[in-house]
Amino acid sequence: MKKAVVLGLTFCVIGAWSYAQENKKQQDIKSIKGMCGCFEVNFKYTETFAPEIDYEKHHDYTATALEWAGLIEESDNKLSIQHLLLVGDTTIIKHWRQDWLYENQEVFYYDKDNTWNFTSLPEATVNGQWTQKVYQVDDSPRYSGSASWVHVDGRHYWENKASSPLPRREYTKRSDYNVMLRGNRHEITNYGWLHEQDNDKVIRKDGMEDVLLTQEKGYNTYTKVADERCSIAQKWWTTNKAFWSNARNSWETVYDRQGLLSLLPAVDDKPLYMHLYPLQKSTTKVDDITAVIHQFLTEKSVIDAQGK
Amino acid sequence: MHKASKKSVWAALTLSIVLSISFSSDQISPRLKEKIDAAIHSTYGITDFELKRIAVQSEWDKRTPAALGGENLFEIFRAKQLHGYLYLGEAPSKKRKFDYVILFTPNFTVKKTKVLIYREDFGQQIGSQRWLKQFIGFTLVDHPSYGENIDAISGATISASSMTRAIGDVLTSLRILKEKELIP
Repeated sequence: MKKAVVLGLTFCVIGAWSYAQENKKQQDIKSIKGMCGCFEVNFKYTETFAPEIDYEKHHDYTATALEWAGLIEESDNKLSIQHLLLVGDTTIIKHWRQDWLYENQEVFYYDKDNTWNFTSLPEATVNGQWTQKVYQVDDSPRYSGSASWVHVDGRHYWENKASSPLPRREYTKRSDYNVMLRGNRHEITNYGWLHEQDNDKVIRKDGMEDVLLTQEKGYNTYTKVADERCSIAQKWWTTNKAFWSNARNSWETVYDRQGLLSLLPAVDDKPLYMHLYPLQKSTTKVDDITAVIHQFLTEKSVIDAQGK
Repeated sequence: MHKASKKSVWAALTLSIVLSISFSSDQISPRLKEKIDAAIHSTYGITDFELKRIAVQSEWDKRTPAALGGENLFEIFRAKQLHGYLYLGEAPSKKRKFDYVILFTPNFTVKKTKVLIYREDFGQQIGSQRWLKQFIGFTLVDHPSYGENIDAISGATISASSMTRAIGDVLTSLRILKEKELIP
């Protein structure tokens, strides 16, 4: 009798725990999907503190855009969101992509000089967590990190710190630092969502500790608007999704590794996206896409990550 | 003595004591050298420049309020072209001293000032270009005055007034040298 009670209680506890876990996961998914749709985006960055007194702060960066964030892939443990920028009435620019993976162990960490380290996290450390993997406009890697979505006091957010290459807004303008240590915070809000950043601009050299050049605050608001305003982007994606699906598949074969991945910043003086964009008009063949991507793979880390 | 011949005597005298050092001097620490190079690069937009020290005779060093007898005053050359002048100095903060530079145009107008190394926790606001830019455009006849034509900084009074005084002293000193035709 006593044994039966203990067994019953154990089942109850396990059942309640599983229910809570599943309920939490559904809350997480709802939050991640909250980043999908049509948004008016306001990008704002300002440099804040610098350890050296002679550092001269650079000008603030502000920009606005209309952006479509489409859920392009969904399975039990994966959500993939493709961001598309709308420029004027007719032009679409494929922007960044964020993949969200539940209890994922495979990650990539940016080192420097266009080199990433692909590695595995211990199973125990990713329990209940989501990995965010962020990719460039050509689906090459930017950064990734794993953390839990937090749902407390009516707030829903996810935070992580990850090394990344220079952001595109500074990629061709700055050479005084080579790694951005990004403090990313995604919070779902009543107006849409907030991408808040506390970034460190650092100088990273082999065998030496990172040197902090300056810190930066990023405050990017995504205000939800009617999906119809982004209809042109949705149409663009319908036309081009087969090409980019194959591009992702090509990249997956590259990403299936442990250890370093180094990419050339340019081939024939052109970055990868300038090779891929024209290709999407003429072919969707995986082999053609793979051939282009493979031109950018290199065994050596690239000394100047910014291609300057 | 005619003015022209007097000038050529001074020029010859000055040239004879100008030392080309390109900042290989041991008196300036590597960290400070690096910061000076960065300041020149950001101010004049040049690399591969050469610094030539203008050595001032001790009698004139004694007669001027700013120190001029050491590694203080330099001409900035690139491809044999004069881009401006640099004054490197020290000034007191509350308990210690900080290093600063004044960068001039070839006609001795202040192009930029920078605090390069500061050694205390308090008063670091003086490094901000929002405050330092007030000195831009000052010439050798100007007199910066803290709280009058130079804004005060709350919480950095000692260092900010010290920096203002130091810049004023350098302008006065260079004016004296110029009046005596010791500098071009």
